[in-house]
Amino acid sequence: MKAELSPRMKTSLYGLMCVLLIPFVFPTWWMVTSSVKPISDIFAFPPQLVPQNYDWTTYSKVFELQPFVQQYWNSAYIAAVVTIGTMIVSSMAGYAFARIRFPFANTIFMIVLLGLLIPSEVTIVPLFQMFLKAGMVNTHWPLILVPIFGAPSVFATFVMRQFFVTLPTELEEAARVDGLGRFKIFRKIALPLAKPALASVAIFTFLHSWNLFLEPIVFLSSAEKFTLPQALTQYTDAYGGPMWNIQLAAATLTALPVLIVFIIAQKQFVEGLAHTGLKG
Amino acid sequence: MAEVTLSDVRKSYGAVDIIHGVDLEIRDGEFVVLVGPSGCGKSTLLRMIAGLETITGGDIKIGGRVVNDLDPKDRDIAMVFQNYALYPHMTVATNMGFSLEHRGTSKAEIAERVKWAADILGLAHLLDRYPRQLSGGQRQRVAMGRAIVRDPQVFLFDEPLSNLDAKLRVVMRGEIKSLHQKLKTTTVYVTHDQVEAMTMADKIVVLSGGKVEQIGAPLDLYDRPVNQFVAGFIGSPAMNFLPGTITSEGFSAPGIMLPLPEAVHEFRDRKAVYGIRPEHFVLDDNGVPAEIILVEPMGSETQVTMKLGETQVTGVFRERVSLSPGATIRVRPDLASIHLFAADGGQCLN
Repeated sequence: MKAELSPRMKTSLYGLMCVLLIPFVFPTWWMVTSSVKPISDIFAFPPQLVPQNYDWTTYSKVFELQPFVQQYWNSAYIAAVVTIGTMIVSSMAGYAFARIRFPFANTIFMIVLLGLLIPSEVTIVPLFQMFLKAGMVNTHWPLILVPIFGAPSVFATFVMRQFFVTLPTELEEAARVDGLGRFKIFRKIALPLAKPALASVAIFTFLHSWNLFLEPIVFLSSAEKFTLPQALTQYTDAYGGPMWNIQLAAATLTALPVLIVFIIAQKQFVEGLAHTGLKG
Repeated sequence: MAEVTLSDVRKSYGAVDIIHGVDLEIRDGEFVVLVGPSGCGKSTLLRMIAGLETITGGDIKIGGRVVNDLDPKDRDIAMVFQNYALYPHMTVATNMGFSLEHRGTSKAEIAERVKWAADILGLAHLLDRYPRQLSGGQRQRVAMGRAIVRDPQVFLFDEPLSNLDAKLRVVMRGEIKSLHQKLKTTTVYVTHDQVEAMTMADKIVVLSGGKVEQIGAPLDLYDRPVNQFVAGFIGSPAMNFLPGTITSEGFSAPGIMLPLPEAVHEFRDRKAVYGIRPEHFVLDDNGVPAEIILVEPMGSETQVTMKLGETQVTGVFRERVSLSPGATIRVRPDLASIHLFAADGGQCLN
């Protein structure tokens, strides 16, 4: 049985948690409040935690200065395609590595995992050359194909494999006796049971794709093709200085869907992490 | 329903032989129990019949058809697993109808078959529940329902009761047996529990180290074990063994001379093991002395641990006698029921 905490201990614990919360909550609070401040108030001293003056026009300027709706759509559909693609690839690869006996399975898995050790900065130039030759530069293809078949998918494959390894083999044997072949066992038994792991893969992948910055600035050159992280850098004045309040308004709009996804899928996210034995 | 025949069935993992050529005939509608200690290969043998393990040699026939290379789904068998293996994301009804769904059975027929099986097993009120919402016994019943709904040629049970508590195990044992009597489907049942084997089987196959030690009806195995392993494995409490030598006066065990039937004197001077079941000791003032170590009254009988010479043995007496540790009683082995086993190899001599 859990020991009940005394009221004093409880208060101290909550106090400590509130203090620990500050470094996580403060940047978001600063972003949201600064997005409605006039630019002079952002740098006012002492800092204004609560805006004294409100300037709501920053939000309309976000849409006036850039094709922000188009960029929003670009980010959204790329993240969606990448997420679905990664879920398909990683669940099938993870299942194969966990359940199908084939020669050198573990060695191949180790080689695949090595992909995680190579930073994207190392591969970006050869990838650019490759996509240039394929005529895919300044298209969204590199932003879709690289994550689905690259390092993010390797990580997702690892997560899925770890999950499938824990599935009782008797379930699959029962399915074999019930008349299912390998693919149907995967689709009808293993995959539905892998929902928590799939949910965490979906969230990780969506976040990764949504926040992708290096690849868009390398592969994309026209504003209407930009994704949101890249678009954020474009809110500058005539001298190249950032228009902080507009940029922060765009950043707030950019963070919004991620926040919503996390709030909705918080339970699956935590469960998924617990299932895979991974830390965030 | 079908007969199952195993001819010289072998299984090896690399150079390690697990099953050493098993021959077994299971008649149509028979309830056969494979029994043996952990690691004897009984589950492997069952899984080989199911097609979940490949065989290294020999033939397995189900209904006269060699099934060595057939997938489990093509063998027309149904299996109940030790951990039930119910699909956690499906309701009881879906679990039970799942195999039919994949065999192209119409929805109406699936519903009818599921209802039939649920009625037999008393699951009708649980059909909409998920496995996690069921007790151990209910899960076990659903696993059986999933097996019977298909009306297969052979049922295979892999230690299905081992996860249940003792009381429920007895109840489920009865249910499986009565289900078999109702359906008369050929059944192969694996257990390490010899009581389960004795109470359920038409025929018991005792396995040890991947070899068949003896095949026979439960009471045959109990009364006429072919070797010391079977004698010791079948029966609870287990048969007592006293090592010694057959002499003209009787059986010379450490510290005591035990009587022998006339017929075994042909083995005179041979080293042997004297086997006697606990219930075959008779309280007799003319018997041999035995020092009482422990008395366990069970109600219907009294189990007594005692020292015969230098060997500790167990006796079971139906009489209500007041015995106390440290006292000496006199017991007589029932000569018609004693067994003599060769000291080398353990084969039964009488």
